[in-house]
Parts: sequence; structure tokens; C-alpha cells
Amino acid sequence: MASTTEPKVAEPEQSTPNEQQKPEQKHLALGEDDEFEDFPVDDWPADQTEAAQRNGETKHLWEESWDDDDTSDDFSNQLKEELKKVEAAKRR
Amino acid sequence: MSLVSQFLSQIQQQVRSQQGDLLRSWLQVEPESPKQYYDLAAELRSKFSRQDAIDKIVEDRLPQQDDLPEGQATSWPGLLAFLKDYLTYWRDVDFSDLLGAHQLLSGLVNSCSTAFAHPTYGSMLLQVSMSLSETLARLTMNLNRRPDLTRRLRVVDDDNRKSVAESSAEIIQKIFTTCLTDRSGTRTSKPEGKRVGIYMFANLVLKLLFACRRTQLAKMIFVNIESISPPLSLYPAAQRVTFLYYIGRFNFSNQHYHRASLCLQEAYLQTPPQLVSHRCNILTYLIPSNLLLGRFPSDTLTSRPEAQSLKPIFLPLCMAVRSGNFMQFQSHLAAHESWLLGKGLLLPLSNRLRPLLWRSLTRKTFILTYVPPTDASSRKAATLELSHLLTVATYVQHRLEGWQPYNPRLRGQPSQANPVFMKALKNNIQSSHETTLMPPANGSQKLRPNEGLIWGNAQVTYEDVEMTVATLVQQGFMHGFIAHSQGRFAIIGAKAKGSPVLAGWPNVWQTIKERRYDDEFDLDQVPGWVTL
Repeated sequence: MASTTEPKVAEPEQSTPNEQQKPEQKHLALGEDDEFEDFPVDDWPADQTEAAQRNGETKHLWEESWDDDDTSDDFSNQLKEELKKVEAAKRR
Repeated sequence: MSLVSQFLSQIQQQVRSQQGDLLRSWLQVEPESPKQYYDLAAELRSKFSRQDAIDKIVEDRLPQQDDLPEGQATSWPGLLAFLKDYLTYWRDVDFSDLLGAHQLLSGLVNSCSTAFAHPTYGSMLLQVSMSLSETLARLTMNLNRRPDLTRRLRVVDDDNRKSVAESSAEIIQKIFTTCLTDRSGTRTSKPEGKRVGIYMFANLVLKLLFACRRTQLAKMIFVNIESISPPLSLYPAAQRVTFLYYIGRFNFSNQHYHRASLCLQEAYLQTPPQLVSHRCNILTYLIPSNLLLGRFPSDTLTSRPEAQSLKPIFLPLCMAVRSGNFMQFQSHLAAHESWLLGKGLLLPLSNRLRPLLWRSLTRKTFILTYVPPTDASSRKAATLELSHLLTVATYVQHRLEGWQPYNPRLRGQPSQANPVFMKALKNNIQSSHETTLMPPANGSQKLRPNEGLIWGNAQVTYEDVEMTVATLVQQGFMHGFIAHSQGRFAIIGAKAKGSPVLAGWPNVWQTIKERRYDDEFDLDQVPGWVTL
């Protein structure tokens, strides 16, 4: 049970020796552990980070215009059919 | 001379010459400490089993002196109490008993914080306070992952409802307050004395408060930092990033998504790219903060290594929001429910993205139904018929309840059912429901309140649709007005914008950014993030 590679929240029946294996097990996939780990070093120069580049400009990280005008997808087609049918029924 | 005497003599010399770094390396508490500490523990157990023996040797070895040469220090009552607890700790500690060790270490850090508070000499214990607090935090986090052990604690001590994490946080918070209220230097000068420790201790307390999900208690830390702390920028990068991460999460859990995004984005940008797991932790909250503000992660962001495990969670949500597809939205949330819930993301995303989905759904309905006037000079406003929106919303609600498109072409798979039965069903449905859908054979699926379009299995009414549009107009996500008597939403400014769609459905992020509030406040200022 302790040898599985899946991260586990807690293994109630395990005693302390298994405790030491846990740090390596976390963050293999989506970490279930909420802890923000300590950093390996206390300080680093700003030029090693993105903050120093682009003058803090972050537009490249986000998409602000994402509206979808496509009406050829499945969902749009289903809605089209439904609207057509309901309208026809109203006219009847 | 006994080991205990030798040890205390060394400590006494370090105190006299105020060597904080040496005190730190001598006053160890970790289970991994060198053999000498275990020898010391053995001696304490054999020769100092009585508390008065420990008290006496500490007082003898570290006498308080009055006339001191320049630059030298003496012991003080708080220090003596701390050293007595230190020796008691080594005498009694059993590292295989996590709870007992936690209790002993809590007491030790507590008396360390009292000694640290001494106005003249306390600051020599800064490094010791740091290392002890770090060990206490680590031990507490280990315990926090062991409900089997802490459950026992609750049975033993039923009156004390505080979790181990909360009580450890309280102890470390005392040290934090001592650092914060230290008077050395000005507010904007390079931190010195105890003020060096402000953010480091704040971060430890925040880590514990978040671990035991008592985030509201963090408020006092931010309030106090806001009022007297030096700017965050004067502290080392690791402390800055950690602090920004927690203040970002604090704002996220208080629905201040804009402030959350500012803090988390700065934390992200200040973290070197090779620290993938830290960046991933930050993105876990930075991406949803931005989703809720109407900004999706770009291809640049999602192609980075730290985003790989998050992509399958967030990108389908973006897709669903983009097309107003509530079915895709709900089923994706359901598929990742436990992860999202554990991260505290499920409720904000499932509730607060809905206006954006509704916005896309109304927009799509308009695009599908709007017929532009044949006369180009027509001055009639472009409108969305609310009855069309009702048709669409009813369709979506039925789909959420498990209804399926009758037309196999639209379903994308051939029907396996008996054709005679299907024909009967079809006739039956078409006579009673004017819809392309057929209900599930065993009745509509029971929905929880948040799984339905309005409220669980409540059927969508015309009033619901009208009210939803009114709300979107009020929020600025749709631009126009409701012509109530005509049952239409009329778009304002289509000519000026060049198209009714552009005019009627303004950009979400721009809208949120340009919102004005009754109270004067700067949306870009985050309380607790001192920039000065």
C-alpha cells in the first residue's frame, strides 16, 4: 500500500517510517497537498525571473478576447434545430 | 565536567558575545541532530530527572550580571526559562510520539518567543526563533496529515477545540508580532534587528492557517503589516513570493479576484522558471482568478511545463464558457469535483462563472436568430427575442436533466432501441413536447441546486430569462435595455461599434476593469501588500 506511486492524503494505519517517504511522493501529478513548499534558496537576482523582462507586461499570458462566433459546432447546430422546431410549432 | 555543564557554558559565552548564528546552530531540536544531543538527553534523564536540578544548573551557569563591558550581554529571566525548557525538551522528547513531541516543542517555542521579546537582548534569538519555528511548522504539517493521531488528541482534550495547526500558528504569531513592533530603523530603511523576521514569520503562520483552513484568522496579519511593516520589496525573493502567494489566496477566498490576480501574478513573475512546482502551485489559483475576471490563459502560458497538469482542468472550462455550453461546464466540473473542492475552487468556479456562460449563451442565441434589416438605412435597434432565449435555456435545462437529442444524426450515434418503440415514443413526445429532445427512459435526472440552469430541476420560465438578461445588463456584460412589453432585449450603439454583437456583448475583462464603485478605492492596491 505504501509502495504505490499515487500521492495519498493520509495513510492512517502507517507508522512513522513511511512518513519519510511522503515528501517524494507529492506533486507527482496534481498535488493533493495544499502546502506551498519552502524554496531551495532564500534569494535570487531579479534578472532570473520574468518580472524583470518586458517591464512586467503580462499581456502575452492572457487572452482577453475569446468570444466565439462559430455556429457550425454541435452545440450550435442542436440549438438551431431546436429553435427551428419550436418556432414551427408556434406557427402551427 | 558534565555534558550539560559544558553545553551551558558554551551557550553562556555565545549569549555574552551576542552570537545569534552560533546560538542557532547550538540550540538544535530536530530528530536528525548529531549524537551529542542524544548523549545530552541521556545525561539529562539520568542526572536531571527532577525539574529543580535543571533549574539550578541553568541558573548557576548563566548568572545575570549587572556591570557589563561595552558590547557584551547578560542572561535575562526569559532566556533562563527558555533554556530550562530546552533541556527539559531533550530530556523528555520521544520522536516516535509525534503528538508528544509537538506538545513539548510548542512549549519550547512559546518560551523562546517570550525570551525573544526582551527589548535589549531578545534580538540575538532571532535565528533560533526562526529555526525552532520552522521545525514546529514542519512537525505541525506532518501532524496535520495524520488525522489518526490528532483525532486521539480531540478525545483526550475535548475542551480544546483548536487544531494543532491553529495552536502552532498562534505561538509563531507572537514572534511575528514582536518582529513587527520592533522599533529599529525607519519604515522604509533596510530592515534590521527583529524586523528582518517579519515576513518569514508571517509566512510560517500563513502556511499553518491555510493548512487548517482557518484563513480568516490571517486577516489580522495583513492588517498589522499594512499599518506598520516595511515594504515587501526590501525582503529576500523567497519570502516575497511566499507572502504574495498567501495574500493572493487570502484575497481569492474572499472573492477579491482582481486583487488575488495581482498578488499571484507578481508571485508567478518573481519565481524563476526552473521552479516548476512552485509556479504550478501559484498557477492553480492565478488561472481561476483570471477566468473569473474574464481572462483565459494564453497558448504561451498553457504551453509552459508548470501548466501541463492544470491544462486538462481549466481549458475545457474556458471552452464551455466561450460557447455558453452549460452541459459541458457541469459535466467537466463533476469530473474534477474532488480536486476542485480540495483546492477551494469548486464553489467559486461553479457559481461565479455562470454569468459568463449566460452571457455567451445569450450572445450565441442572438447570432443564431438575428435577421439584419434588408433596408440598410433602417434605424430600428437590433434585438434579441427573449422567447428565443427561453427556448434555448429550456433546451439546455432538459439536456442537463439527461434528455437526449432525438435525431440520431445530432446525437452522433446510432440508436440501439427497438424502432417500433422509438416510433411510438417519437409520436408521443412530439404530440406533447415541441422539442428535438426526448426525455430519459427512467425520468429526468435529479439535479443538485447548482447543477440546474436556474435551481436544480426547476424549469426555466420566461421571468427567469428576463431577469437573467436584466442582471447581465446591470453587470455590464450586455449593453442595451429590456423592452419589457415587446419581450425583447434591445442593443444600444450597434452603429457606433460597427456590429450589434460587438455593441451588445462588451468584452468581459474590459467591463470588469472599467467598473466604477460607490466607495473611492484603488482596485490595484492590495491591503497588506506594502509597496510605499
